[in-house]
Amino acid sequence: MHWHCKKRQSRKLYNMSGLGYLIKEGFHSIWNNKIMSIASIGVLFSCLILTGAAAMLSVNVSQAVENVGESNVTTVYLKNEVSSLQAVSVMRDIEKIDNVAGCEFYSKEDAIASFKGELDSVYEYMQGDANPLPNAIKVTMADLAKYDDTIKEIMKIEETDSYSNAGEVAKTLTRISSLIGNMSFWIILVLSIISLFIISNTIRATMYSRRYEISIMKSVGATNTFVRIPFIVEGMFIGLVSAVLSILGLMLLYNILMDLVQSTIPFDAIPFGSVAGVISLCFIVAGVGIGTLGALFSIGRYLKKEGNEILGW
Amino acid sequence: MIEFYNVSKVYPSGTHALNGISLSIKTGEFVFIVGASGAGKSTFLKLIMREEEPSGGRIVINGKNLSRIKRREIPYLRREMGIVFQDFRLIDKMNVYDNVAFAMRAVGATADAIKKRVPYILELVGLAHKAKRRPSELSGGEQQRVSLARALVNNPSMIIADEPTGNIDPKMSYEIMKLLNAINEQGTTVIVVTHEHELVNSFPGRVIEINQGKILRDSY
Ligand SMILES: Nc1ncnc2c1ncn2[C@@H]1O[C@H](COP(=O)(O)OP(=O)(O)OP(=O)(O)O)[C@@H](O)[C@H]1O
Ligand SMILES: [Mg+2]
Repeated sequence: MHWHCKKRQSRKLYNMSGLGYLIKEGFHSIWNNKIMSIASIGVLFSCLILTGAAAMLSVNVSQAVENVGESNVTTVYLKNEVSSLQAVSVMRDIEKIDNVAGCEFYSKEDAIASFKGELDSVYEYMQGDANPLPNAIKVTMADLAKYDDTIKEIMKIEETDSYSNAGEVAKTLTRISSLIGNMSFWIILVLSIISLFIISNTIRATMYSRRYEISIMKSVGATNTFVRIPFIVEGMFIGLVSAVLSILGLMLLYNILMDLVQSTIPFDAIPFGSVAGVISLCFIVAGVGIGTLGALFSIGRYLKKEGNEILGW
Repeated sequence: MIEFYNVSKVYPSGTHALNGISLSIKTGEFVFIVGASGAGKSTFLKLIMREEEPSGGRIVINGKNLSRIKRREIPYLRREMGIVFQDFRLIDKMNVYDNVAFAMRAVGATADAIKKRVPYILELVGLAHKAKRRPSELSGGEQQRVSLARALVNNPSMIIADEPTGNIDPKMSYEIMKLLNAINEQGTTVIVVTHEHELVNSFPGRVIEINQGKILRDSY
């Protein structure tokens, strides 16, 4: 019996290469704790899908704003009897108004020309004197916040008749988009907290089911870092699975929804592919982050209380 | 080397478990700790392992003052000790081999080191042929030998056993003590808490008797 002569040598062999073992332990935990793991994945999945849906909605709305947009250009229509020549002097007057950054004449001929190709019969029928459209001026404003006042000033000019409310639509859409932004911030916050809570509980459950092993590990001199690793692996993996599932789920959901919407209202939806990279990255970072954080919370509490001592005696 | 200087322990409940204990256990000694139930024997061991901290006095182990060491140093202190429990503390979902290997994995040993060391230690406690069995398929004496193997596998400088024979029959108890004695002969310090006077009398060693938290007797 000469086990002591090996002492120095075997000491040197201790290092962190047990990492593979610890990672395997993490996966074992997930498997042994299937129901809780599935619940965690479900909650985190729902959280990410909702977040993603809000993001996609937001992106589409701001795209729509841009389309409607050139949003600070307002078309001011002149009265029917106002000729092109008179229009030029009206344009000068408008240019003098505060907050008007620029004007562009948009003649009735230009207006009717826009029907060409799309509505050729109308275009042909309404040439020359038959053109019922008014002359107009495209006004660019410097600051949209002063939109209402500026419009009021413009409408004071006698020759003006009406104005297109593209700016109004843009304003409404912008308001909706920021409302969505605000709401999603809170939804995301609440859901993240819930996910964090569920994941940390799942991992706490694993920890309690393995308290006996942990106490043995601690009694033979395992460091807290070492005890932590399998649980962190568990949290990260739950986060990763949730992220991957929700990326696929969101893609499916988005494509189905957009097909549905586009069959009723024609509009240019942003293709999922164009944002897939960013969304995937965000989801994976968020999922793995929440999973890891949840694990760290529960381990921190456990090791501070029960796990620091060797259980029972 | 374990040194106690006027160590006392009062539990939060108000129980005075130890009252001014001073002693020194040298490397390579074989020490029995005896005393009535509630005398403070387990408390003495818990202080050595730093599972509990003393309320007064100073404990020095292998030159390290336990009141001064940082929390993250505790695991390394414990690697100096092999601990044996009365109730074996084996994990039944693992076989005998894995129960012993587990202690090496827990301190980050390489797969290579584990493969070399575990069979060697199992051979040592005479259980190489039962490596693939579950602990529940073994007798009490065999289970305690597995637990002893686990305590030894990380090459500690001392073995600390709290009533290691408390749950096994006299014949097996004798075998366990013989094993502990053999380990001691190789230079490992062995500290055994026991109730069994016959065992104490059958083996040479220092006997420290604790009574109501004080040392009543300390003799060879
Ligand atoms: N964690 C604790 N909290 C409060 N009191 C404790 C604690 N552990 C032990 N005690 C008390 O301290 C005293 C000494 O206990 P200890 O476990 O050291 O005795 P022991 O000599 O090991 O007894 P036994 O032979 O029954 O194992 C007892 O009165 C016990 O009730
Ligand atoms: Mg005791």
